[in-house]
Amino acid sequence: MEPLFHTESLRFGGFLQYGDLSFPAGKITFITGESGSGKSTLLKLLNGTASPSEGKAFYRGQDISSLDAVALRREVLLVSQEPFLFDGTVRENFDAFYGYRETPPLRDDQIKKLLQSFLLDFDPDAQTRTFSGGERQRLYTAIFLSFWPKVLLLDEPTSALDNVTGMAVLTALLDSCREAGTEVITVSHSRQLAGQFSQNTLHLGKEAFH
Amino acid sequence: MSGAADIGIFSFALIYLLLVVVLILMRKSKIAKTRELLIASLRMTAQLVLVGFILTYIFQNPHPALTLAFLSAMIVFSVHRVVSRQKGLNLKFKIIVGVSLCASGLSVLAYFILAVLGQSILNPQYVIPLAGMIIGNAMTGMNLALANFTENIASQKQKMDALLNLGVHPQNILKPLAGGALTTALIPTINSMVGMGIIFLPGMMTGQILSGTLPTTAILYQICIMIAICAAVCLSVFAALTLGVKTLYNGNCQFTYVPEQKKPS
Repeated sequence: MEPLFHTESLRFGGFLQYGDLSFPAGKITFITGESGSGKSTLLKLLNGTASPSEGKAFYRGQDISSLDAVALRREVLLVSQEPFLFDGTVRENFDAFYGYRETPPLRDDQIKKLLQSFLLDFDPDAQTRTFSGGERQRLYTAIFLSFWPKVLLLDEPTSALDNVTGMAVLTALLDSCREAGTEVITVSHSRQLAGQFSQNTLHLGKEAFH
Repeated sequence: MSGAADIGIFSFALIYLLLVVVLILMRKSKIAKTRELLIASLRMTAQLVLVGFILTYIFQNPHPALTLAFLSAMIVFSVHRVVSRQKGLNLKFKIIVGVSLCASGLSVLAYFILAVLGQSILNPQYVIPLAGMIIGNAMTGMNLALANFTENIASQKQKMDALLNLGVHPQNILKPLAGGALTTALIPTINSMVGMGIIFLPGMMTGQILSGTLPTTAILYQICIMIAICAAVCLSVFAALTLGVKTLYNGNCQFTYVPEQKKPS
């Protein structure tokens, strides 16, 4: 079966060497490794927001550098580690992101359902200004998930959450993705989460440095 | 009405007493800018004395080449002033800024002089003062716009990255920032339009009245120049940013502009 992503002699910026990697389709892949081993950069190379200095990355067999960058990113969404939210309410945030994507906004009941699946007990009228770090991260991820991409790249999706909440949120998130047929690749520091959810683990070690 | 009274050199020197008062007050309050004010007033005096002699020469010997030379110097100086402040921008963007400033300023100036005033485009009496006001204000507007634009790019990096990851085209991410910069550039012109005639009498109108022009004529000129300034600011900033944003990302829709790091103050 054709891999979801694969790379050939992939290098970035002269200091990260990934070599030949393969991400099978239909499996939840966890990317683990020490800080600075290039985990976040790898995700950026996969959704085309960064370009390799050498080698190539492929999405379903197609060279990423030859694809329409914007179309690729809409299909392969990257939820970065630092959440960004607009000032205003939860609904205004959904509306703003949907406006930028030139997509009709979600209805309130759709927003509420999403919030619930991320264990966010808020009304769409709630001001995000008062949200904690963990709540911001979850809302940010929920907004990205609501576009139902074909592939969701997550960078430390539970870094701002305690273990119990992190586990519960990730369970709900992965369940939703499975139902929707969304492939998931996630970067995580947590061995516990990887042990629980990973179907394919890719460890970036010191060998990434050259 | 008569022309403006001549100022003798000694009477003229009296005005500097006011500056001395300011300098003393600044020194007493230990304000850091005392030296700058001193240098600025010396520069102003030297520059204006020089320009006074040059303009007298040009008006006495009106020749299209001289007018054009003066106009070119004005444009080169204003473009240099704008571009030299934006060290972080790429060369292509800087060229676009220069061309936009030059093309917008000159076309508004030409329209004003040819269509509205019905004068020759090379008549120094009209071209030089009006070009100074139009290009000077367009330069200030462009400075404000670029400062606002680059500051916002630096402060909204996280938002820009989030939207890029969501599959938004870089141009659509930058468009609202360009819009904000255009607004910032127009605010001083809009504010002075609102206050004009009530809060203050504008410089050009005051100058014309002092030199004997009827106030009813002076206000017509003032209205014309304000609208011309507004148009020149708007056109030059709009053109510079609309074309300039395209230089801030590459063919892979990745941002290529790295904002300058602010030095810690």
